[in-house]
Amino acid sequence: MQIEKTFQVKEPIEQVWNLLSDPRRVATCVPGASITEQVDEKTYKGAISVRVGPSTTDYKGQLQIVRLDPENHEIEILGKGQDVRGRGSASMKMTGKLRSLENGGTEVTSVSEVNVVGILAQMGSRVITEVSNIMFGQFTRNFQAQLHQPADAPSAEVKPVSAASVAWAAAKGAFHRDS
Amino acid sequence: MVFQTSPEIGGMGHPIKRKEDLRFLQGKGNYVDDVQLPEMVYGHMVRSPYAHARLKSVNTEKAKQLPGVLAVITGEDLAKSNLAWMPTLFFDKQMVLATGKVLFQAQEVAFVVAEDQYTAADAAELVEVDYEELPVLVDPHKALDPASPILREDREEKSNHIFHWEVGDKAATDKAFEDAAVKAQVHAVFQRCHPAPLETCGCVADFNTATSRLTIYLTSQAPHAHRTLFALVGGIPENNIRVIAPDIGGGFGNKVPIYPGYVCAVVASLTLGRPVKWIETRSENLQSTGFARDYHMTAELAATKDGKIQAMRVKTLADHGAFNAAAQPTKFPAGLFSVCTGAYDYPAAFCEVDGVYTNKAPGGIAYRCSFRVTEAAYLIERAVDVLALELKVDPVELRRKNFIPPEKFPYKSPLGWSYDSGDYDAAMKLALDTVGYDALRKEQQEKRKKGELMGIGISSFVEAVGAGPAHTFDIAGIKMFDSCEIRVHPTGKAMCRMGTKSQGQGHETTYAQIVAQELGIPAADVTVEEGDTDTAPYGLGTYASRSTPVSGAATAMAARKIRDKAKKLAAHLLECSEEDLDWEPGKFFVKGAPSKSKTIQDIAFAAYTNMPAGMEPGLEAVDYYDPPNLTFPFGTYICVVDIDKGTGEVKVRRFVAVDDCGNIINPMIVEGQIHGGLTEGLAIAFMQQIDYDENGNVQGGSFMDYLLPTAVETPNWETGKTCTPSPHHPFGAKGVGESPNVGSPAAFVNAVVDALSHLGVKHIDMPIAPWKVWNILQEKGVVN
Repeated sequence: MQIEKTFQVKEPIEQVWNLLSDPRRVATCVPGASITEQVDEKTYKGAISVRVGPSTTDYKGQLQIVRLDPENHEIEILGKGQDVRGRGSASMKMTGKLRSLENGGTEVTSVSEVNVVGILAQMGSRVITEVSNIMFGQFTRNFQAQLHQPADAPSAEVKPVSAASVAWAAAKGAFHRDS
Repeated sequence: MVFQTSPEIGGMGHPIKRKEDLRFLQGKGNYVDDVQLPEMVYGHMVRSPYAHARLKSVNTEKAKQLPGVLAVITGEDLAKSNLAWMPTLFFDKQMVLATGKVLFQAQEVAFVVAEDQYTAADAAELVEVDYEELPVLVDPHKALDPASPILREDREEKSNHIFHWEVGDKAATDKAFEDAAVKAQVHAVFQRCHPAPLETCGCVADFNTATSRLTIYLTSQAPHAHRTLFALVGGIPENNIRVIAPDIGGGFGNKVPIYPGYVCAVVASLTLGRPVKWIETRSENLQSTGFARDYHMTAELAATKDGKIQAMRVKTLADHGAFNAAAQPTKFPAGLFSVCTGAYDYPAAFCEVDGVYTNKAPGGIAYRCSFRVTEAAYLIERAVDVLALELKVDPVELRRKNFIPPEKFPYKSPLGWSYDSGDYDAAMKLALDTVGYDALRKEQQEKRKKGELMGIGISSFVEAVGAGPAHTFDIAGIKMFDSCEIRVHPTGKAMCRMGTKSQGQGHETTYAQIVAQELGIPAADVTVEEGDTDTAPYGLGTYASRSTPVSGAATAMAARKIRDKAKKLAAHLLECSEEDLDWEPGKFFVKGAPSKSKTIQDIAFAAYTNMPAGMEPGLEAVDYYDPPNLTFPFGTYICVVDIDKGTGEVKVRRFVAVDDCGNIINPMIVEGQIHGGLTEGLAIAFMQQIDYDENGNVQGGSFMDYLLPTAVETPNWETGKTCTPSPHHPFGAKGVGESPNVGSPAAFVNAVVDALSHLGVKHIDMPIAPWKVWNILQEKGVVN
């Protein structure tokens, strides 16, 4: 499953890049995600909790920065996680790219290739795209909030998206598409 | 004609209320999960989240440390006792617990046993399994591609091909197609679906260390066959195994195979010396136990210009999943699929089937169906409709022109079956009259002018049910006879024990009615018991509509043996010779002097108190019945649908089902069976599919995605009947429980296609969900 998203922020590109290239801070923007340990310069251990319909899946795994290109403001991240209850796995290859806008702001584009195996793929196949849309929406808001904070500010605990809100938002998403 | 007994006796034809329902309705049934034994512990299965992966390690340490956990069994553990693999019912083998690699999502990997089921489930999450993902094969059409992974490393043959099977005269069929004026072709997928019985599968295995006896309470449609298989595979002396199938909450073929969970519970009980209960969850049932269908079929019909069918050619790809666990008679890799020539009379046919492995759950069970007869009936009934479109004739007219005429029975079908009896046009005529066919066609024309979508679908199916005969049919080598033992007690009441096993079919009532018919003992006085291998005579069990054709026949034959002895007793009591006696159900009387009579109750008492010198005491008999042929029930179903153009939703407005199952034992039970089977057919046609995504994730592995019909979706069923008795059955009956599930899918699909045929639609694959219809309406420009 490929997910492509674009959003704009009013902050200049270097400020946005500082955030995007710091996995510890980016992770706090992802609903339900956390970085638990830095293995080396480019590798981190982390966890993410995803709730779809009746099932919550807790993944533990690794996040690796495959490519970091400050000149072109591009980052490529590979994430792989196993469900802690042995019921599946998920992997994601995300390419993030920044572009300066004429108004001084920045456009953020991400292309993610997501592969889910196991219980989440079984139970949530019909709503998984909507769930990622919702998660991405929350990510965008958290990302913008993070931009306003100094880099060393303590991060708020981020909870997974709740089942009820996912179901409701997914239903809205399903019935009120723009296209 | 069958002799009409009084309502007090309640023989054949009386709509007696089901004896078993009182306990079911009061919650007093006794299912496997109701079994509670002292010291009983609980099993839980660890399953693979991957469809295809190498098993690098299975670490059970953390799970074993959880308080309350008694054992964790892995494939490696079973391998030490040579039990990691077990034979399937079709010459293949399947893993009990995985070793080496896993081949489908939800495959069994380890079995946790704990003091309670919650601890067992928690511990299952602590079993650490290290998998290495392998490329997944989902599409059966790609199974034989050189680029596809070879799934079964255990087999000598390094190929995903399981079998090729063909039947018929290929040369004559090809010639008929060369000469044909008109040809029709349809590609139809009968999707993978699942019986989803109300009760999932499960067992309690209880090994008694003092007596060395193993008792298995089992959701089993075939308790005796399962006992024998446990003995053969497990090496336990068969006299030390007792299988008890208690009340069963629906089987539909799902409870014919032996599943890994049963074997694990037995192994755990042997190891621990305690009873072990294992009950599947709903998702485990849908994802890992016997699926049905998954036939990818192409049918062609050749016909003359005026619509006489000349030949049929069929090519089918069968997706069997990871192991060939099809529950079928061993000489028939594609079951009775070759009954696909249907109700029509033509000389040539050729049918070939190839089975392949994929990374899906194993199975291929006969879901409310006599071994692939459902696929066959669906295919021919779809193909005939496509031919009608090619010929631009009414599908009813085409069918009636080609029906096998009544005088041609017994009819030898081009693929080798001998149809016992039939009057297909009589059922068709009754269905047409009931539904008011001509008026409906006029209405459809009017509606089309107004742009409204209405369709009429017809299905004139034939089934082949009631296996044996033993010379042709066996399950895992055991011949497909069946049995009944009747004991008449001194007070004239009786007990029947059977080789079959009811899963809701009403056996406790219908077998009693057969005894009532044959002996005149009131059905209320006859107790029917099934499912305990320690007490019941050996039999092959209940599936493929075989209970009435085989065990029902055995009941009549056993009763007739009793009647023969009763006659001797009556002659003794009446002091006359046997030749002087006449019989009517319930009593023997002296010819010409009906007041000089002895009731069956008098005779039963005498059998224990006053038998003539030299006669063996008692009044009982057992019969093992080997039927001379299958029975071939049939019928015509007509479905009327309206389609909502805005949503693509199909509304079934009317459904007329005319069935012919020969002489009927209990018309109320037959009607109930037909209602149930039609509702399951509706679900298959419109709602149900076990699908897989490209990674082999099950889509349809819970009731969120695998939909069950409720009263909201279910239309009013209008039933009718004709009666063409089976000439070879002792009381002229045929099987019926599966007819509605076999015959109805084609009626539903034909109706939807008929509603859209003027737009150029020739076929839609099931399940016909609203989105499919809506997409077609968009594509054809009907809505935008």
